[in-house]
Amino acid sequence: MSIHFQGHHLPVAGSKEEPLYALGARFETPEALVHAVDRLRDKGVSLYECFTPYPIHGLAEAMKLPKSILSLLVLGGGVSAVLIALSMQLIPSCIIYPLVVDGKPLNLLALPQYVPIVVALTLMIGAITAVTGMILLGGMPRWNNPMFAWDLFAKDASRGFFIAIEARDRNFSTSALTELLHELGAGDITAIHQEASEEK
Amino acid sequence: MSTPSIITATETERPDLHVLERPPQVLNNRGPLWVTDAVCSIVEGKTPLWWYAAIAFTGTLAAIGGACILYMICTGVGVWGSNSPCFWAWDITNFIFWVSMAHAGSLISALLFLTRQRWSLSISRAAEAMTVFAIICAGVYPAIHIGRVWFVWFLFPVPNSYGMWPNFSSPLLWDVFAVTSYLTVSSLFWFAGMIPDLAVLRDRATTKVRKFAYGIVSLGWLGTARQWRHYEMMYVLLAGLTSVLVVTVTTIVASDCATSVIPGWHATIFPFYFMVGAVYSGSAAILTLLLPLRLIYPQLRDLITPSQLDKVCKLLLMMGSCVAYVYVFELFNAWYSANPFERGAFWERFTGSSAWYAITCLSINLTVPQLFWFKAVRRCLPLVFILAILCNVGMWFERFMIVTSTLTHDFLPSSWGNFHPTIVDILTATGTLGIFFTLFLLFIRFVPIMSMNELKAVLPGTQPHAGVGHSNHSTEETH
Repeated sequence: MSIHFQGHHLPVAGSKEEPLYALGARFETPEALVHAVDRLRDKGVSLYECFTPYPIHGLAEAMKLPKSILSLLVLGGGVSAVLIALSMQLIPSCIIYPLVVDGKPLNLLALPQYVPIVVALTLMIGAITAVTGMILLGGMPRWNNPMFAWDLFAKDASRGFFIAIEARDRNFSTSALTELLHELGAGDITAIHQEASEEK
Repeated sequence: MSTPSIITATETERPDLHVLERPPQVLNNRGPLWVTDAVCSIVEGKTPLWWYAAIAFTGTLAAIGGACILYMICTGVGVWGSNSPCFWAWDITNFIFWVSMAHAGSLISALLFLTRQRWSLSISRAAEAMTVFAIICAGVYPAIHIGRVWFVWFLFPVPNSYGMWPNFSSPLLWDVFAVTSYLTVSSLFWFAGMIPDLAVLRDRATTKVRKFAYGIVSLGWLGTARQWRHYEMMYVLLAGLTSVLVVTVTTIVASDCATSVIPGWHATIFPFYFMVGAVYSGSAAILTLLLPLRLIYPQLRDLITPSQLDKVCKLLLMMGSCVAYVYVFELFNAWYSANPFERGAFWERFTGSSAWYAITCLSINLTVPQLFWFKAVRRCLPLVFILAILCNVGMWFERFMIVTSTLTHDFLPSSWGNFHPTIVDILTATGTLGIFFTLFLLFIRFVPIMSMNELKAVLPGTQPHAGVGHSNHSTEETH
């Protein structure tokens, strides 16, 4: 099976005139995908992305992805919420307009009465941080993506485990990678070009 | 290379590594693709006739409720039966009823997720939806019950026109923050959990409108390994935050009553009382919602299994027993306190004008959940449905009993009174039922009612395991 032969028969998604975005392939089992990631890493390929219909145990470890920093962000959000909630209650209650009821204290001695709002606001801001953090760290919102040029992927990504190796990778070579992906048992290997913009 | 569906091939038998076998998450050895089709088909199929009929009915109820609210705002709270000494009546009863129902939804999805109770996966999305819609219904009341709705901004943390700030030591203000954050957090939890499933609907969409709409709400989700990494972290964090929030919100709502000095309310058991009551009524509500769904959509019978429903029934039994404990403890405490007012309040509750609903509440809540000790009852789904509705009726009466019977009988005989609901009270209450079911019907029709990605991730054979298939080093890393 010559490289030249494969190069010729590689299906193309998107517009051929546009630059090549990535080489896409589909695996049928999560094991095969994790195995492929290992092999690609051994070959020095680093700019690739895996697409799975549900989280795969061990895939992120195989890709050597760092632990998500989301928990740190949420901690930051929570701590600042505590400070916001405390000052929101203490500054009006103690300084701007002290509302003395039954001569009860309003300062930090009366801390328990401020706790419910602190807890509620901390949880709310923590949750908002978690969701916006997940969206932004995951590169969203992004409604266009070169991957959508690949019909097989765009029509039903839940039907398999996909990988896309970006053309700007240092070790990218259509022929070598096609052969490697074949060897790893990938199907539907496709050259994904960007879609022609509609203005043209 | 040809592409036969090896995904289904991986579902074949593999060595069982578990010592204790779990009941299957999905019956009949269904694969991931079947799960996708089964859940999406509800949204993608033609709108059934019953759906139009149902939404017409619930929509009408909601519209009548809305008209009543408008009438109340234009005329004043006098159109309700609430009057001295019973200034809180159906408004707060319904508020507590709905917000409590919401709690169980959060607990089923968040707390059971954190404790790795996988059986709850197929019902968690519906439970979260129930939470969000119940909070919306609950939220109707606090804003309108203040009478002059245009002064609702007095509750916001801003100075009013006299330069005064709200009283931050008031449980009623805590309530505003608790309910706001509860609505925000549970909506986020619900929506964020749906993003990957909405992306599946986007990919499968056949019409331009659907593609566009699902495309927008799924935010461009692709299911990349990086996205899943952050997503899984977010899910754990949100589940943790939601679990804490549920307890906080119930405690604060209970404090509305418990921090007053009124006999019958002034009890430290109140937060626990409200918590167990909440999970009890919410478990009943989720059964009431899921059982008809299972009947209408036969494909859901493999996803919502009898074993899972059995576990919800057991949860109902446990919480029902806790509720029974609280009832008994409350009565014991009233007697043991030797406080004539406390004793008087409880004596009046069961002998006075409120006796009929106090007895209705107790006779339902002390007996109905206890029937779930019997396996035959838990397995007879039509019976479970009826009993679950009864439990919710019982819980509504409990809220009514707590709020009104206490207010109508406090310290001074001169300030004792009674409460009679007006037609506006009744239609507003049925209006919230209408809002709840209208939203739930929209939910069934337009979004995936189950978390497909979570279900698929726990199906047998969908995760790489050591010793199966490849024996390379990558599979070792998975453990």
